[in-house]
Amino acid sequence: MIDGWTIGTIVLMASATYLTRIGGYLVLGGRTLSPRVLAVLETAPGCVLLSVIAPFFVSGRVADMVALALTGLAAARLPLLPTVLIGIGSAAVMRSILG
Amino acid sequence: MKAATTDAEARPAEFSRGLRASTPVLIGLIPAALVLGAQAAAKGITPLAVPLMTGLNFAGGSEFAAVGLWTSPPHLLLIAGVTLLVNSRHLVMGAGLAPWLRHLPRRRVLPALFLMVDESWAMALADAKASPPAGGFSMRYFLGVSSGLYVAWVGFTALGAQLGPALGHIERWGFDLAFPAVFLVLLRGMWKGAAAALPWLVSLIVAASVHLALPGAWYVPAGALSGLLAAWTMARP
Repeated sequence: MIDGWTIGTIVLMASATYLTRIGGYLVLGGRTLSPRVLAVLETAPGCVLLSVIAPFFVSGRVADMVALALTGLAAARLPLLPTVLIGIGSAAVMRSILG
Repeated sequence: MKAATTDAEARPAEFSRGLRASTPVLIGLIPAALVLGAQAAAKGITPLAVPLMTGLNFAGGSEFAAVGLWTSPPHLLLIAGVTLLVNSRHLVMGAGLAPWLRHLPRRRVLPALFLMVDESWAMALADAKASPPAGGFSMRYFLGVSSGLYVAWVGFTALGAQLGPALGHIERWGFDLAFPAVFLVLLRGMWKGAAAALPWLVSLIVAASVHLALPGAWYVPAGALSGLLAAWTMARP
């Protein structure tokens, strides 16, 4: 039902996550972190998320650029579900208009 | 260490108090879980593998990132590395929690931390700070909040994976835009002003350029590490 490579990826992924959960308590618990280390740790998730979706910003397809801009505007104001629906809907409409 | 055990700790009603406190959070969590399950199904992750991932990993941001990068077969090291970076904030959270956990033995703390997510961490800390000086951190309350979120997350991602294929025809219309939509909402939650977001811009520009220049998924580590380097350079030493 599930292939070994998928299970391996999930187990390794989950191990990495559990390490982050216990690592701060075990290793950093007694220490004060420098502002620089704190800044890097706080910025990291955003850096990764933007890197993952970067290809959407340079797809070169006008319809997708417009849809992405509309999605960005929605994301700045609305909760998750309406934003996702606007993302999907605007892409569908723009692609059917602009091709 | 028995003397240090708090009153709050001894009350068995603490678990159900935590469970009840978790219910308002579910309003935001359930749609996100359904979306993740449906996206995972669209990427070809089997309906059984989806709750396996969300049940063992239990960290939404990293799961959206993993599903976004999922291929068949998946890039094992890329996904593990991205997961590590997305969840690196747990290090700060765990460090912040440590002073409140001194009265508890490690054999109790380490399994409990498996369930630490942004919401349960914030709620248990707020609860610890609000209770009387002798009260402090309530492990049972923390476990109650976390368990409610855990059951809902695993259950509704599994349900989303089951429902996903029924929505499959939506994919060619614009379902792929759901990924940036989710990520942009997550980013808004992390927003701390334009200056703090400069490293994010660096990540975006580098990742986009590398994506245009090189095949494969090198753009993810390249973008992420450039952003981290920018954050390191910008911050006060």
